[in-house]
Amino acid sequence: MIRKSMLALLVCFAGATAMADEPLYKVVDGNKVDANTLMGFRTWRQAACDRCHGANQEGMVGPSLINSLKVLTKEQFVTAVRDGRLEKGMVSFANSKAVMDNIDNLYAYLKGRSDGAITSAKVVAMDP
Amino acid sequence: MRRVTRSSGGVVRRLGIALLALPALAFANADVEKNIANAKNWAMQAGDMFNQRYSRLNQINTGNVGKMQVAWTFSTGVLRGHEGSPLVIDGMMYLHSPFPNKVFAIDLDTQKIVWKYEPRQDPAVIPQMCCDTVNRGLAYAEGKVVLQQADSTLIALDAKTGKLLWSTKNGDPKLGAVNTNAPHIFKDKVITGISGGEWGVRGFIAAYNLSDGKLAWKGYSVGPDAEMLMDPGKTMTWTNGAMAPVGKDSSLKTWKGDQWKTGGGTTWGWYSYDKALNLMYYGTGNPSTWNPAQRPGDNKWSMTIFARDVDTGMAKWVYQMTPYDEWDFDGINEMILADITVKGKPTKALVHFDRNGFAYTMDRVTGALLVAEKYDPVVNWATGIDMKTGRPMTVAKYSTARNGPDVNTKGICPAALGTKDQQPAAFDPETKLFYVPTNHVCMDYEPFAVEYTAGQPYVGATLSMYPAPNSHGGMGNYITWDAGTGKIVQSKAEKFSVWSGALNTAGGLSCYGTLEGFLKCVDKKDINKELFKFKTPSGIIGNVFSYEHKGKQYIGVFSGIGGWAGIGMAAGLEKDTDGLGAVGGYRELNQYTELGGSLTVFALPN
Repeated sequence: MIRKSMLALLVCFAGATAMADEPLYKVVDGNKVDANTLMGFRTWRQAACDRCHGANQEGMVGPSLINSLKVLTKEQFVTAVRDGRLEKGMVSFANSKAVMDNIDNLYAYLKGRSDGAITSAKVVAMDP
Repeated sequence: MRRVTRSSGGVVRRLGIALLALPALAFANADVEKNIANAKNWAMQAGDMFNQRYSRLNQINTGNVGKMQVAWTFSTGVLRGHEGSPLVIDGMMYLHSPFPNKVFAIDLDTQKIVWKYEPRQDPAVIPQMCCDTVNRGLAYAEGKVVLQQADSTLIALDAKTGKLLWSTKNGDPKLGAVNTNAPHIFKDKVITGISGGEWGVRGFIAAYNLSDGKLAWKGYSVGPDAEMLMDPGKTMTWTNGAMAPVGKDSSLKTWKGDQWKTGGGTTWGWYSYDKALNLMYYGTGNPSTWNPAQRPGDNKWSMTIFARDVDTGMAKWVYQMTPYDEWDFDGINEMILADITVKGKPTKALVHFDRNGFAYTMDRVTGALLVAEKYDPVVNWATGIDMKTGRPMTVAKYSTARNGPDVNTKGICPAALGTKDQQPAAFDPETKLFYVPTNHVCMDYEPFAVEYTAGQPYVGATLSMYPAPNSHGGMGNYITWDAGTGKIVQSKAEKFSVWSGALNTAGGLSCYGTLEGFLKCVDKKDINKELFKFKTPSGIIGNVFSYEHKGKQYIGVFSGIGGWAGIGMAAGLEKDTDGLGAVGGYRELNQYTELGGSLTVFALPN
């Protein structure tokens, strides 16, 4: 148990380096996440991102988000999701309330996957 | 537009109109029939109106096919998945491409491009196309080439000049209603469907006049009787071992509230037509969403075989294969019409290899269910079809509805892409067997709650797919099937899904393409005898076709990997748990092929 919470703390710290004060995401055991990050996962499923980016974000007909999120800035990510990249087949989610209301959560979830801190695509709520 | 009245007077009036119009219509049909009758042509996507995919040419045969060589090739200049095939009519080839849906007319004397047409389409439709930007080909009649564009616009071009003759809008792409299917010309009508089951599109089949592109009729798959062109007292369905009328509100009763409005049942497959009965046949797709918990009920008439009168659109009979779908087993695969012996009795049959892993033999006149058997032994979601009720006998542990949302139901066979997807089978009138390109893939399926937003994806399940466990390790089989008894005659293992339409010929051949990019011709009397094999530039998901020009027989096929076959294999790569499964399979496909659309045409050496 002690080892696990230490690991969780370490991951939180890693997440925190990405943003100034609040950690971007919190994760325990690789798949138990905070409420916002969980919403990010649900948004990922609702928007059916896996159809193109693969069930594990490793890319399919669309690029690997594990890789892309290492390169894209948050602003670039938001622009791509909002406006789409139509020629390349990326949907514009501007009209999707579910996606636009949760864009920060979606970013947190995908960043956690890209960082390797969230180790499986499917996540569940961490203990309160 | 209301075209159906419940009064018998309305029916009589319509019949009267149809009868009066018949003499003129017979001519309209005659051109396509004449083109089909000439075995040198490949005048329809399936070669004929029965969807048989059989060529009467026999210059290339079992004895000499081994010497076959590439005669010529043609690049479409488009990279994505190339389904369907070109058409050949009187020395001219008409060729299509995936989005942007270019059309070429090529003079077979010189292989020179006589004209080229490229529609202007909003690129916003690209991301709306499920499973790649494929197009399944053109239709031809009376000097018109008909293209069903991705953005749902249906157009007719002058076959001589490529000039636009008419254009009509078939759906609203902003709501996800796009098209991938080939238009089909039956009588004086252009028949087309719609895609978008993963966007909550309510499916329909529509008939437009070949002469001017005006809508003649439109029949929805789900909803009120009038909009489905269904007569509660006369449209029949298999009930308790016999045909009986569907009754009032047969669809509405099987949906919760208004859900039928975003209920799917799209129609993107291959249609067939029996002139003698004046009936056209097609199948409808999955109900939306993929999360069954959200749409209790049988969701009629999704997953259904439809027989409709071509003149009026009225549904003559229907048969729902997968009530309350829990696995995305779209029922859109081709309906093959064949006159065969079924259980000892000569029968005007309709044979259909469904995504759900069962092959159905129906009486195409009445709609009676005759045979329903698994055409891949690994199919496990149902033990069989109850021949009295016509319903599948489902297995609880593979029920994604019973297991519920957010539970991953594992080991379901077949996978969502079905024991067979759209890749059409062939029927051989000599051997009386069906030659079926199949998938041998299973899946894990986890449904979850989704909200409908107009114009946004509406899926509701995460899937991972992998080769059928405890089998030969490959993801496909090429089989021969006896539809009269419901039995596999021969099965030839393939490394990958066979996602290419089959062609049989009077030369004793059965030919198909593979995802690695091989065109293969086997002996139709023993499909394990591989007589010819050639590696084309890319993986093949197109359909094999044949034509004759200046005394020489040619066999051709599109290559150009893509479609659900190309991307589906990569679905859900669970690095940590899957081991070699799909990861291995897909990576290996990458060792064989890259994107790139081209046509390869073969002939015997001079």
